[in-house]
Amino acid sequence: MSNEQKSSGSPIVGIILGAVFMVGGTYLSLNAKALGVGGIQETLEGQGIPLDFGKTIGTIGVFLILFPVIKSFFIKPLQDAIQERNSDLERTFTEAENLRTEMERMRSDYDRRLAESEASAREQIQSQIREAQNLRSSLMAEAATRADALVQQATAEIEAEKQKVLVELRTHVVDLALAAAEKVVGENMDSERNRRLVDDYINSVEVVA
Amino acid sequence: MGNLLTTGFHLIAGVEEHAGEAHKAEGHHGPSFIGLAVYVLLTVVILFFMMSKAKSGLNQRVFKNSYTSIFEQLYLFLENMCVGIIGSHGRKYIPMMMVFWLVIFVSNVIALFMPTAPTADLSFNLGMALIAVGYVQYEGIRANGVIGHFSHFAGPKLPVALIPISIMIFVIELISEVMKNVSLSLRLFGNIEGGHQAVLAMNKIGDPVFIPVGAFLLPIKILTCVVQALIFCLLTCVYISLVTAHHDDHVEAAAAH
Repeated sequence: MSNEQKSSGSPIVGIILGAVFMVGGTYLSLNAKALGVGGIQETLEGQGIPLDFGKTIGTIGVFLILFPVIKSFFIKPLQDAIQERNSDLERTFTEAENLRTEMERMRSDYDRRLAESEASAREQIQSQIREAQNLRSSLMAEAATRADALVQQATAEIEAEKQKVLVELRTHVVDLALAAAEKVVGENMDSERNRRLVDDYINSVEVVA
Repeated sequence: MGNLLTTGFHLIAGVEEHAGEAHKAEGHHGPSFIGLAVYVLLTVVILFFMMSKAKSGLNQRVFKNSYTSIFEQLYLFLENMCVGIIGSHGRKYIPMMMVFWLVIFVSNVIALFMPTAPTADLSFNLGMALIAVGYVQYEGIRANGVIGHFSHFAGPKLPVALIPISIMIFVIELISEVMKNVSLSLRLFGNIEGGHQAVLAMNKIGDPVFIPVGAFLLPIKILTCVVQALIFCLLTCVYISLVTAHHDDHVEAAAAH
């Protein structure tokens, strides 16, 4: 850019030089013969080359003025506008690229978190299943224990009831035997000794049974 | 606007008639100095009118103004041409090329509607060519130094015994450089003035039946307007690229280091 500015030179110099060329060209064109170029021009004209050196020099002057004026009036603003627009587009593209990168990062983050959530949920479900299985095992063991205890209790109660019934039965049998013996012998058999004899007999019968 | 144009045309015609009579008495062809000045002024006025219109649309983010869009496309086209032909440092020549292109194009378009135009004058074209070739020499000297630039005219370095050949090449190259001016100016002058003469000649064919046969040349002349502006800029770019090619190599080498 600095090189470009160096090469363009000062616009004022160009404009002044251009004005000098224009005035010089006008003077040359109007006084061609007096300045000694009229003959050359006429010779060229005769050969079919219509040249007026005054016009040529004037044209050079016009362009020396036009270059800096048009450049500063229009071309520089146009260049700046195009440059600005390109910068805008570049910035927009960069922003879009950054947003895309950010979106991809968020997406991968989301995927990672989703995978983590799934793994966590799976872990929790497995844990719950394990816990439920443990609970089931412990409950079954407890139920079995309680059932055994109940069975033992019931057995003991049955045994106790049985013993009680046996004792009652034995007492009843003894009473019946004594009553029957009283009837047979016609005498009171309810003495201590008789009762013991009957009990001993029943016990011996039970042992045999 | 119509009145303004009509007044302008009358003014130009009056000036042409007044100045042209004295001029033709001296045996000159083409517009007189004053006539050329009026045509150049008209060209500059049209240019600045269009540029003002285009400039008003520069503050938009997307150029919706048609003038601005056209100038933008022209700028991008010339940028591609300069960078493509001259190289990466070719961007700095865009303003000059754009001024050349605009002046030549507008002048050529004026030639479609007016009896003559700035680019239909060989002297005007020679002035442009001298600026273009002069600038090329200036850039060549700036890029290679005075001795380096003119030593290129002598061709490759030859043994002492072949120095006469180098001198011959030098002279031929000097003539070639001068002929670049002739080439640039005569081509443009021939195309535009030739177009005028062709239209006049064809109109004479249709004169008996009042048909302007020459008008059928308008599409070709419009094409010529664009092509001649393009060729002038293109050749100037080529000339600049020839003298600054080493400069580009140095820039690339420096960038590589």
